[in-house]
Amino acid sequence: MIDPLFLEGIIKILFVFVLISAGLIISTRNLSSILTSYTIQSFLLAAVSFLLYLIDGKSQLLLLAGLTLGSKVILIPYFISRIEEKIRIGRDIHFTYLEPTTSLMLSIGLIILSYSSLSKIFEGLPLSKLFFFGAVIGLSLTLMGMLVVFSRKRVITKALGYLSMENGVLMFGLFVTELPFIIEVLIVIDLIILVILTTILAVGMDSSIEEYREKVRKLQIWTGGEFR
Amino acid sequence: MLEALMYGAIATLLSGTVLPLLYRSKNIRKTSFGLSLLSSILLIGFAGIILYTGKEPVFPVIGFLPGLDFTLSADRLAAGFILLIAVVVPGVSIYSIEYVEHAKSEARKSLQTALTNLFVLSMLMVVLAGNMVVFLIFWEIMSISSLLLVMHDYSSEKNKKAGFFYFVMTNISTAFLFVGFISLFRLTGSPDFGQLEYPAADLALPFLFLFIGFGVKAGLVPFHKWLPYAHPAAPSSASALMSGVMLKVAVYGFLRFLLSVSAPELWWGVLILTAGTLSALFGVIYALKENDIKRLLAYSSVENIGIIFTGIGLYAIFKVEGLESLALLSLTGACFHAFNHALFKSLLFLCAGSVVHATGTRKIEAFGGLVKKMPVTSALFMIGSVSIASLPPTNGFAGELLLYQAFFQSFAVTDPLITVFLIIALSSFALTGALAAALFVKLFGITCLAIPRSEKSRLAEEVQKPMLIGPAVPAALCIFGGLFSKQLLSLAGLEIEFPDLLLLGILLGLIYTALFMIIRSKETGPARISETWGCGIPTLTPYMEYSSAGFSEPLVMIFKSVYRTKILNRTEYFDDQESLFKNGKVEIRLLRFFEEYLYTPPARAIDIFSKYVSKLQNGKLDSYVLYAFLAVIVLIIATGGFI
Repeated sequence: MIDPLFLEGIIKILFVFVLISAGLIISTRNLSSILTSYTIQSFLLAAVSFLLYLIDGKSQLLLLAGLTLGSKVILIPYFISRIEEKIRIGRDIHFTYLEPTTSLMLSIGLIILSYSSLSKIFEGLPLSKLFFFGAVIGLSLTLMGMLVVFSRKRVITKALGYLSMENGVLMFGLFVTELPFIIEVLIVIDLIILVILTTILAVGMDSSIEEYREKVRKLQIWTGGEFR
Repeated sequence: MLEALMYGAIATLLSGTVLPLLYRSKNIRKTSFGLSLLSSILLIGFAGIILYTGKEPVFPVIGFLPGLDFTLSADRLAAGFILLIAVVVPGVSIYSIEYVEHAKSEARKSLQTALTNLFVLSMLMVVLAGNMVVFLIFWEIMSISSLLLVMHDYSSEKNKKAGFFYFVMTNISTAFLFVGFISLFRLTGSPDFGQLEYPAADLALPFLFLFIGFGVKAGLVPFHKWLPYAHPAAPSSASALMSGVMLKVAVYGFLRFLLSVSAPELWWGVLILTAGTLSALFGVIYALKENDIKRLLAYSSVENIGIIFTGIGLYAIFKVEGLESLALLSLTGACFHAFNHALFKSLLFLCAGSVVHATGTRKIEAFGGLVKKMPVTSALFMIGSVSIASLPPTNGFAGELLLYQAFFQSFAVTDPLITVFLIIALSSFALTGALAAALFVKLFGITCLAIPRSEKSRLAEEVQKPMLIGPAVPAALCIFGGLFSKQLLSLAGLEIEFPDLLLLGILLGLIYTALFMIIRSKETGPARISETWGCGIPTLTPYMEYSSAGFSEPLVMIFKSVYRTKILNRTEYFDDQESLFKNGKVEIRLLRFFEEYLYTPPARAIDIFSKYVSKLQNGKLDSYVLYAFLAVIVLIIATGGFI
């Protein structure tokens, strides 16, 4: 049996890495690096889940770790890398509203905001330091994922931002609310479907969303009628 | 018994609404108006029993939300206003049997019939509402059905504008009512109407919101502008209902709130009285200048609503001063005047409808000589004019006499400032009365007397029977209500020191008969019928008559400062230094004061604001995610307790 305090220490170190991976997703321009960051982030989450299992001994956590590993570390990144190969673009250099540096600064603000806000909300609740930090990291990860969704132009990056948001939700669930396992499974299924859809639509996904809409308009897929 | 009467009335009105929508035929429309006639008979019974016995029935119908019942209830106040609805509806229904048949198509005729019934039903339900939620639901149905009636002839651009104006104003009214009711609900924790035993400071906010909300709907100055737009657009039968009844429903709503407050403050009364007096004065002054018969009547409604609110204001002041009997007197005066105004204004609108139908124009300047062409309508019009000008022994006189009595006895108020204020209010109230008399002398004189001013008026013919019997009902009630005012008041359980107008009426009748007999007996030779001497000009032409503008000219001169003119000067130049004149336009017109200074600026501000808001909706996914992101941030900050 390993000392729980030691394990908790490791988890705290992992937290830092999770944040770093989120920062990378926000700021990196190279698409394959973003994907790698996401994969690492998911792997870190799986690891955290596994370590929690070692502390708590709940089999649910072990299942969760396995699920995360299977879906978010192997399956989803595999699909996305296939898309990246297909669309043959390596870099996403376009940003809206926020440049990477500003985004990073804002992320720091978001982490501080989550910390101070959650510390007020959880005031008086019997929650250990570790779980509190977990909640803070989870919330900040969600917000940073959202930041990615609106500040990056390429659809593929937006999808990754969304996936990273979901990681934040999972993190928050791990430490505070304990989502029922079945819900976690359903979310993962949703994510896989999202990624598959993205793959199917990959023809149109080599561009920003505005250009994509233009393409769809030309192909008369959504507007219906009105051939020009 | 009461339950059967009420449900019977509701059911008949409901079937009167549904039937013409299902089958489009003249007979069905007749049946539909017959049903509304039947419902008003049932309602007279219902209201009469409550007024006489003082019962306060409550009918829980269904619970439609947890903790919220769909309740209907009635007390003496509600019964008074139900009676008001019930006496106006018969005249309008009989009139409409013929009047709707002049609409353009079968579909519109049936629609107008259905809407009229729905409108009556919704007004009845507003008065019967047992709590705020039911009240607001039917208030909205009332607004919508009246809006559809105003927009009845929707093809004309003017009517569209009128409808839109009315739509905006009625929504503003509802918005204020919502806020008022919500703030009341926060205070009491219950949606029911009940006694409000709270300090006046807590009730100030609900009071202000409800006052404005009901004031907009009732047409108090400065929120009156929708009336002169909506009435010319609406069919005359709808105008009669809107002006006669709907404005009173707003008065009812306000009274429902005010009477439940156990301790109002002095400034409430002063505010209500000021608004009332100003509405009365401005209403009649604007009416004097008007040349469109229906707009004139609309402004006159503003004046009369002002008189009603004057009574309500007096009630509030006397109540604060602890003069209970005077408070009751002024409240009775206000309610009685509301009742009377419903009668004579519906009468006048119906007659105006007949005149407009016969001549095809609404311009007073084009009328004239109708007393020979349309004798019955003219006689009915005369009764309406006499009543609204408050001449004895009609009901208009009785109603205003109650208010004068309240004013005259106000020396009992000890506060000298209030006494001075009341004297000022009294003098302007008296001025209003005099101007109203002048106004209706003008309206009746120009419309019915002398010789026709236009071809249209010369070719006018008397309208069909239903359109004569319809207005005859309120006309008869005007005289009946005046003669038996004392008896009616004591029948309703209000023992007020009040002269017996029946006696006065008989006396007046005797004097007139005696005068007639004396003149007749002094007659020397047979009567000689000849033309008026026209200074030697062989035939008299309409140009020699008093015109509508000419008649009101002296009064317009006196109130010149009220009708302000605006000089618009637009010039264009060829060059930047403005030295080479290109073309220009100078325009002198009446300043639409309230519209230009009160209505347009906020409308413009909203317009500019919405331009900025609509920029938010730019069709970019990124922006929408950003909004969601910001909303989440704000939520986090809020839940963290930072704001």
